Amino acid sequence: MQTNNPTKIAIQLKQINKSYQKGSNNVVVHDNFNLSIAEGEFVALMGPSGLGKSTLLHLIGGLDLPTSGSVIIGEQRIDTLSEIKLSTWRAENIGFVFQLHHLLPVLTAQGNVELPLLLTPLDNKQRKQHASLALRLVGMEARANHLPKELSGGQEQRVAIARAIVSDPKIILCDEPTGNLDRKTADEILTLLAALNKDYGKTIVMVTHDLRASEYASRVINLEQHIEEGKQSQLSVVEVNS
Amino acid sequence: MYKLIHDSRAKLKQAVALATINLKSFPHRAIASSVSILSIACVAAVILSVLAMTQGMVKTLERTGLDNTLIVMRAGAVSELQSVMFPAEVNILANNKQVLKNSDNQAMVSAEMFVNAEMLHIDKSGEKHIEKLALRGISKNTYHFRPNFNMIAGEKFKTGLRQVIIGQAIARKIPALTVGSTITLGGARWLISGVFSDNNSVFESELWADIGMVQSDYQRGNTLQSVRLALKANTDIAQLNQEWQDDPRLNLRIMLEKQFFANQAENLTRLIRWVGFPVAFIMALGAMIAALNTMYATIASRSKEIATHKAIGFSAFAICFSILIEALLIALVGALLGILPLYFIFDGWTASTQDANNLSQMMFNFELSMDLIVQTLLFSITIGLLGGILPAVKAMRLPVTVALRDN
Repeated sequence: MQTNNPTKIAIQLKQINKSYQKGSNNVVVHDNFNLSIAEGEFVALMGPSGLGKSTLLHLIGGLDLPTSGSVIIGEQRIDTLSEIKLSTWRAENIGFVFQLHHLLPVLTAQGNVELPLLLTPLDNKQRKQHASLALRLVGMEARANHLPKELSGGQEQRVAIARAIVSDPKIILCDEPTGNLDRKTADEILTLLAALNKDYGKTIVMVTHDLRASEYASRVINLEQHIEEGKQSQLSVVEVNS
Repeated sequence: MYKLIHDSRAKLKQAVALATINLKSFPHRAIASSVSILSIACVAAVILSVLAMTQGMVKTLERTGLDNTLIVMRAGAVSELQSVMFPAEVNILANNKQVLKNSDNQAMVSAEMFVNAEMLHIDKSGEKHIEKLALRGISKNTYHFRPNFNMIAGEKFKTGLRQVIIGQAIARKIPALTVGSTITLGGARWLISGVFSDNNSVFESELWADIGMVQSDYQRGNTLQSVRLALKANTDIAQLNQEWQDDPRLNLRIMLEKQFFANQAENLTRLIRWVGFPVAFIMALGAMIAALNTMYATIASRSKEIATHKAIGFSAFAICFSILIEALLIALVGALLGILPLYFIFDGWTASTQDANNLSQMMFNFELSMDLIVQTLLFSITIGLLGGILPAVKAMRLPVTVALRDN
């Protein structure tokens, strides 16, 4: 497995507390959680369900805010940004890949990949060129004019990856990208992500239950819930494969 | 400043782009939106009908009456039907120095008789029909006060005979009434000698006959109901009124003829608005709730899509805008669905109503003018937008993390 040589910190979560209200109960998801990910790392976040893996991904992507603590991406602290600035920041810096890909059914593969480029100053022709390039990188250029319903699950996920990389973000966040795929297709997707990490220097954070992910990631982080004295939950980071 | 303009343009650009993408998928939601579309169509149809009816009536009444003609009735009478006047009074009025004289040095005066007549006619199949119509007894002088009067078929009635000429609005509504056919008025048979037009005014809803014959058949003696007087230019109406009010022989009410019919228009349209607009308002409320429901359902079904847009980086404003555009589209489709059939079927259609003042029928055309259509469109769009605001705000505030997690 190829491991990048990290030099600069890409993602920093400092003293993160995250809790939410469920009825009359205050549910603590993360308590004083810290994590650093270097530029060019391919990190697999693993662990049992309910430990807040997706929450971490949402915090890194600015989709959710910590109750306290700070989220620093590159040089930018994002948890203090306004909603509007956060949207713009997200469009420029983050690419998302979801388990269910969430492609728009009315747009072709090409149209779906062009979607993030609508947020850039690129003109129509440039958008098409960039989208075509992204589709070529994920091996989907032949299917550019197909609607999502005409694609297989794996192909849809490739298009979703193309959509995530088309605006050339530094960070790609993947939430169970292989969760709905068969083994062979899942391996293809993981290979593709690893190639994006290795060949294009993308920092990738992937939440997954797929044990084979460790073969592709440069670092695997297992989140284990440690309950101390039966009173409060705390998360610690056990770095397995750094 | 430049940055502000640039940022605003960028935001608008992404909002339009997102709205365009949403509209592409709208046909898939068209059936789900159909209740909302139909509700708005009904509201648009009702609103436009009320407006067109009101406009048709107003225009009909506005086309009636002259600016320099005075109409005189008994004091306290609000309509010609309620008024009674006597020839002696007409003479006093005619002798006033402010009244114009014709080339024969005769005062330009038209004494008129107005009857709410029950007209009986028999159609080709032998069936009897009864209509309440305005029968106006006039003299030759009256034609001077109707500059737009024109015979379009047959000839004028002959004095001293039971002959009537009928307005073209009546002829259009009751095709059986043709020149040469007979009708029964006040128990006697009358011959229709001709059909006249008068610039689509109220007079086209009337039957005109010799005043002497009307007075005789309806046993009115020599009484009249209204008098029209042509006045010299720059006549001080207030002063003239004061002069006649001070005359112990007179007990009259004067008004410019144009104003008289304008007041009637106001009374009639007020009635329609009192009935029509509350109905339209209640329907509009229903349509707004339907639009609200539809848009909430749309958002619920598209929550993941909206969350994905947010995750990609589309702003809350763009998402709100795209939802409002969809609400607008629903309203627009609904409005057109309500307006177009009305336009093609009812524009120019002749309707009639009972004139509350004279208790006879007044015919008017539905006037579906462009400004009424635009007003209806704007009203419908407002309903759609009001129905779309809350769902749009909900979409704007949709928590991405929750929406993406929900299955």
